[in-house]
Amino acid sequence: MHLTEISGNEKREQHLCDECAHNLNNQLIKMPSPTDILANLINQVAPEIGEMSKTACPACGMSYLEFRSSGRLGCPMDYTAFKKGIVPLLEKMHGASEHIGKVPSRAGKELVVKNEVLQLRKELDKAVEKEDYEKAAKIRDRIFELSGSDDVKGTLRQDG
Amino acid sequence: MLRELYDKTGDWLRGTGPEADIVISTRIRLARNLANFPFLSRANTEQKREIERLIREKIKHAKDTKDLHYIRLSDISTVDRLFLMERRLISREHAGGDGERGVAFGRSETVSVMVNEEDHLRIQVIRSGFELRDAWKIIDEIDNILERELKYAFSPAFGYLTACPTNVGTGMRASVMVHLPALGLTHHIEKVFNAVGKLGLIVRGLYGEGTQVLGDLYQISNQFTLGKSETEIIEIMESVVPRITSYERMAREVLISENREQLEDRVWRSYGMLKEARVLSSEEAMHLLSQVRLGVTVGLIKDVTAETLNALFILTLPAHLQKLEGKELEATQRNVLRASFVRRRLGNTN
Repeated sequence: MHLTEISGNEKREQHLCDECAHNLNNQLIKMPSPTDILANLINQVAPEIGEMSKTACPACGMSYLEFRSSGRLGCPMDYTAFKKGIVPLLEKMHGASEHIGKVPSRAGKELVVKNEVLQLRKELDKAVEKEDYEKAAKIRDRIFELSGSDDVKGTLRQDG
Repeated sequence: MLRELYDKTGDWLRGTGPEADIVISTRIRLARNLANFPFLSRANTEQKREIERLIREKIKHAKDTKDLHYIRLSDISTVDRLFLMERRLISREHAGGDGERGVAFGRSETVSVMVNEEDHLRIQVIRSGFELRDAWKIIDEIDNILERELKYAFSPAFGYLTACPTNVGTGMRASVMVHLPALGLTHHIEKVFNAVGKLGLIVRGLYGEGTQVLGDLYQISNQFTLGKSETEIIEIMESVVPRITSYERMAREVLISENREQLEDRVWRSYGMLKEARVLSSEEAMHLLSQVRLGVTVGLIKDVTAETLNALFILTLPAHLQKLEGKELEATQRNVLRASFVRRRLGNTN
């Protein structure tokens, strides 16, 4: 086996027997392949891609990589199927990954109330910040009123 | 129905409502999808047809939307689709798209519902002037009514699920169309854009993303749809937009007090050109209309109203001129027609 090594302006040639060549080859094999280097890079830049690259949505069949290259999702289920990848993406896009706001009434009264309470608490903070205590008291009363139902009490306690 | 639209304009161009000297119109749109269908990029022809049929039927039966006029876009010509786009009843993407799709809109052109655009359903409300609360009240109600009939794709964690994650959550884009000629003239416009960007809002051209800025008309809208409620988004806009309008007003005052002659010359010259030109390109018309509108809003020009100018911004667009003439026209022919149309509207009978 012949091995030519060029470093700087120097050229060094080695002529090796099979055994020595085999040993050397083992060292060469340990060097990362371009694919590994690329995979590492992807993991550094967008860790979710590496992990999610094998995921596909069971409902519409779209793969996570397809979504990342087109930017469009295939069906509503994708949000669940790709959750691990989508949450950090949403954080980057919106600075948030959880919905606050309108809830369709058919999604259940519980959720409607929970979201209203979340919203009211934000308003309460704002009112206190502005030292508008009259408004703050009204908001607080409304929160207590809504919290009459047990499920919301749970939420409130949990959040402090 | 389309014919009825040709020589009138939508209510949102009336030039009424708060801050109407600067805010031409307010628009809110909601993106919604059906739970049991794939998003459109992954739906086959049959599914698209099914989605369109389902939504069309519900629109035709639901209270509040049953009086809307429904048009299937595959039934009308390219010029008609462009016409609806110039009218802001459909988006650029919807006009240029393919497959089974449609739009429902009312006589006053306040409400429109696009079916099978990027999402299954895009509801929009446009009002004249700065009227976010009002627009929200109307659209919220329409959404509630359609929601009773259609099963929306919704998740408690991510909100209303949309084809593109940039719209997920509220699915709401609120935008105001503002006319900022003085900030342009005094080279302050870049500062406004930078400041607006830091507040989570974005600035675009007249017809949305990637479109050219013409006639000093800009659209300012919310960038984020997730993690903020509809009311919060409206509150942010309500705190930012008045600052931009007062900045524009300040720039107008500076122009009047420090460069009165130059400003007068500029706006009257533009007015003269519009009244006498024999050939007008779309870009030139937009530019001149913008200058004259500035002249009218600061009280230098009194023989034309802002409403007339607002309407001319839209009526002189390519598809509008072609519908007016009743046939397809080359750009050079349109430029001649545009000039004569503007002359007539401004009372020049020569």
